[in-house]
Amino acid sequence: MKRGLLIGVGTLGGLGAVFAITPPQFGTSGPSGLSALPGRAATTSAPVAEPTKAASAPTKAASKPTKSSTAPVPAQTPTASARITGTFDGNTSQTRWGPVQVRIVVKDGKIVGASALQSPNGDRRSADISRQAIPYLVQETLAAQSDQISGVSGASYTSNGWFTSLQSALKKAGL
Amino acid sequence: MSSQTIGRRSGADWASIVLGLGLGLTVAMFVETTTREDWSSVYAVVTSISRIAALVGSYFALIGLVLVSRISWVEKSVGHDRLVIWHRKLGPYSLYLITAHVLFVIFGYAGVDQVPLAVELWRMILRFPWMLPAVIAFVFFAMAGVTSYKKARAKMSYETWWTIHLYTYLAIALSFMHQILTGTMFIGHPLNKAFWEFLYIYSAAIIIIWRFVIPTGRSLRHNLKIEKIVKEGPGVTSIIMKGRKLDKLGAQGGQFFGWRFMQKGQWWISHPYSLSAAPTDKYMRVTVKELGDHSKMVKNLKKGARVFFEGPYGTFVAAKASKGHIVLVGGGVGITPLRALLEEFDESKSIDVLFRASKEEDLVLRNELDELADARGARVHYLVGSRKVHPMDAKYIRKYVPAFADSDVYVCGPTPLVEAVREACRDAGIPKNRFHDEAFEFHSV
Repeated sequence: MKRGLLIGVGTLGGLGAVFAITPPQFGTSGPSGLSALPGRAATTSAPVAEPTKAASAPTKAASKPTKSSTAPVPAQTPTASARITGTFDGNTSQTRWGPVQVRIVVKDGKIVGASALQSPNGDRRSADISRQAIPYLVQETLAAQSDQISGVSGASYTSNGWFTSLQSALKKAGL
Repeated sequence: MSSQTIGRRSGADWASIVLGLGLGLTVAMFVETTTREDWSSVYAVVTSISRIAALVGSYFALIGLVLVSRISWVEKSVGHDRLVIWHRKLGPYSLYLITAHVLFVIFGYAGVDQVPLAVELWRMILRFPWMLPAVIAFVFFAMAGVTSYKKARAKMSYETWWTIHLYTYLAIALSFMHQILTGTMFIGHPLNKAFWEFLYIYSAAIIIIWRFVIPTGRSLRHNLKIEKIVKEGPGVTSIIMKGRKLDKLGAQGGQFFGWRFMQKGQWWISHPYSLSAAPTDKYMRVTVKELGDHSKMVKNLKKGARVFFEGPYGTFVAAKASKGHIVLVGGGVGITPLRALLEEFDESKSIDVLFRASKEEDLVLRNELDELADARGARVHYLVGSRKVHPMDAKYIRKYVPAFADSDVYVCGPTPLVEAVREACRDAGIPKNRFHDEAFEFHSV
């Protein structure tokens, strides 16, 4: 009985410590890997065709990734990164539906191109979703010029994979 | 001697807090990474539940292994017996939770995909990295769980059970990669991933060091070998082992070791046997009855075979007694640790030995017992016959030991005997801390 209490106190202590440092935010799925719903649940109803909605709330989602990533882009001075030019491939990120690997093209410190070297295409639905979502992810990446993208609803797994791979590509580029 | 440290349990409180803390951090990983979407539909909720079940179940499984990993300072401060009890309590929950994870995740995903469960399971195996190993891991884990269930356990030999149990190590290792690669709490969350990897790597290191490196080193240093094999009675054999500086082990009568006889067909399995005589600096002895497959092979052991050991374990020791009067209750071959204990009590204690056996020839080590009792003035009562003749309740024990209610009671034997004496002590008003038991099955770790 007494030990059960001690275990309970320890558990609450552990939970409390984590929540004190990073309070849980039960937001809708962001690109920070928080999403968990199998992505295709929403394919037919509210899919990719809503980029404005996704783009309108980037600040909310953007606040999240900073805790896990070190947000390399805004911290850099423009002069230091201005000289960076080249093509950089991110690490392959495994998702529920398959691997995602991002390639970015950087010119004078600016992301001028982004593409998917790999995307989930193991089955037809995954391939469909990838085909629809990736243009939006490219667009978001070019607009954000960082990993602060909001992701595409209805393709949360691909978005998460894109985010993780993009992060590593940015790191390689030194952005 | 380690007699002072044995039985001190303040460590158990600290261990509880640490285990709770780890559980809190594990649950926090889930809470921090769950989103509104995860609770937006029935299938999403089912999938979310499967995730938290997986996390907590895996945490319990890992802790279950660490609890029995024989870390000596933990063994001393918490007590081996208590660690084994925790391991046994935690095990079933771990299996229930992991089973829930498997069922719920398949159900949740199948619901989203609108396909039959079997189809979804097949799809998951094909599509996700390390999913097939994870499925195999679950089968191993479930097997260990089912065979540890009381009724199943009673039907099989110690060797079979032990071998199947060993596969849980493999199961936990096999399931690791699918967690890291597909778990939503890890993908894109380096801190969570680092914590989880740390937990697994640290546990693996503990197990390798304490269950392999240290016992091997100690076995080689003490150079223990079989010196002599003596037949004690029908199906009962003593193994006398010789080594060097055995007093350094700090073993006492009443304790047990895991023994591994390094000869053909034997070396791969470790067996828990109690010392049947107080150890000296050169000799240790165990006395074994033909119970499992291994016990039968004991007769075929060869003189001179090297013996690897883990131990000593157990808090069934003389230092735990607080009263001036001692009652030792042994059932059949369960008398052996009591025979060793008898040597450990100092002259000031008044001792009664109650030796239960169904047949006369099961009274093993009888001559030794009589000699020891004579030498120190203890009384041995041989109670041969059926349970009906010797009910072993408070009233019956008091017939032989009038001071029963005011004694420290030690009992070793088959579970029914241990339970009968436990009840007798309760009826006589003997507090828990004066009742010391060592059930046979208790050793199976």
